[in-house]
Amino acid sequence: MDRDTLEVVTGAEAVVVLHGHSVVKQRVPKDYRIAELDTKLRRERTRLEAKIQSDARRAGVPTPIIEAVDGFSITMERIEGPPVHSVMNEVVAEAIGAVLCALHSAGIIHGDPTTRNMIFSAGRVYLIDFGLSSYDRSLEARGVDVHVFFQTLEATDDRFPALKDAFLAGYSRNCSDAALIVEKVNEIKERGRYL
Amino acid sequence: MIVLGIEGTAWNLSASLVDDDEVLCEASSAYIPASGGIHPREAAQHVANNIAGVIRQVLSSTDPRLIEGVAFSQGPGLGPCLRIVGTAARALSMRLGVPLVGVNHCIAHIEVGRWKTHLVDPIVLYVSGANSQVLSYRQQRYRILGETLDIGIGNCLDKFARSAGLPHPGGPKVERLAQESRNYLPMPYVVKGMDFSFSGIVTAATEALKSASLEEICYSFQETAFSMLVEVSERALSQMDKSDLLLAGGVGANKRLQEMLSVMCAQRGARFSAPKSEYLQDNGAMIAYTGLLMLRHGIQTPIASSGANASFRPDEVEVLWIETH
Repeated sequence: MDRDTLEVVTGAEAVVVLHGHSVVKQRVPKDYRIAELDTKLRRERTRLEAKIQSDARRAGVPTPIIEAVDGFSITMERIEGPPVHSVMNEVVAEAIGAVLCALHSAGIIHGDPTTRNMIFSAGRVYLIDFGLSSYDRSLEARGVDVHVFFQTLEATDDRFPALKDAFLAGYSRNCSDAALIVEKVNEIKERGRYL
Repeated sequence: MIVLGIEGTAWNLSASLVDDDEVLCEASSAYIPASGGIHPREAAQHVANNIAGVIRQVLSSTDPRLIEGVAFSQGPGLGPCLRIVGTAARALSMRLGVPLVGVNHCIAHIEVGRWKTHLVDPIVLYVSGANSQVLSYRQQRYRILGETLDIGIGNCLDKFARSAGLPHPGGPKVERLAQESRNYLPMPYVVKGMDFSFSGIVTAATEALKSASLEEICYSFQETAFSMLVEVSERALSQMDKSDLLLAGGVGANKRLQEMLSVMCAQRGARFSAPKSEYLQDNGAMIAYTGLLMLRHGIQTPIASSGANASFRPDEVEVLWIETH
């Protein structure tokens, strides 16, 4: 590793190297998965992440600029700032709502919108980690996206009720069908239950 | 403190006596469907026919005057089964003159796992017939980080096994057949954050029966479904900054799933542990032990609120017995 390398972060599925003004995200092999499945997942997710993250940016959603894609690794712009979970409050939650609405309005589902996959930088919320993203305009897909966000927020933050309201205020500002999404989220919560 | 516990949410009716240190005795009676899967009415009939027997068996092993509480599975589970178990538990608690405590079946799986593995504050992967969840304790509650968006992994395996003509329970048979193949057929891999979905795999596997061998399908089914479960478990470890993983629930007896979780944990320097199979499957000891923890922390269930709760969520339970640092 050269001397410009600042920090290495090991996430659940990738090793992220902060390198000057860039970030290199490398999806590492997972020994628990058989090679066929592992290689396929890593290749697909890397390709998809680069493509959809660029599309999201083009649609006006704050995301890092993709600089290069190579096999299982993506080099992208480095966004300075803390993950949103460490600065969470109602203002940030509302900003997240607005950003997720902008993404959904562009026909994109993030797939993993947890508070660790968002960076707070210069008053804006940046979305990162598009490895599970997809193109989908359906209410169902948007509902699952919002459900995933609520679930991690509820599991990690005691101010969940207020933060949820703030998120919805931000989401509904430009997404007029927010009430339908809330209905969908409640429906999704009721599934996956014993009988 | 000695507590008597009764489990009877679905297939295994079981009563047990535990104290703070060990399981003193257990008596079980499993319901084995004559054909097809678990039929709620037949399962309830099984509970009704055998509950007096299993309770009598554990009572005969000790002086009933030493029993300080009666715990029972209050839910989630099949309503008709839960109601019979609840009725028996209420009668027994009144007869013995000791407190009654209603236990959440999912929490009981976790607590018996913590008890037997000595993991204090792990991420929990709970996989059974109807339930598939990733949980993490935080501030008096087990929080559900992720769960199935449709059916539980066990039901998913059983459903496929039935369409392949394998007798219930299908999981162990699929596990054995899977060992006979190394040929992977791609199947729908659906992970959304820490949630996941299995219904696509059932459809794909059933469809594949027309063109591929049963061994190949079982192998591909397990590799796909289990990889999803291991992936979300790893996400949970990473998200919550925890370094212990506990496996709970009946599907946890699957050796391939255990192997994959253990490899994942080894690769990231985490600790993996699972109790023995008898404490992974539904058992009376887990209910008795969780009841004991609850009673030790002043929690009792008044008769008026002891009704069956078929859709009892683990995050509804206030957990007062965990000390983290």
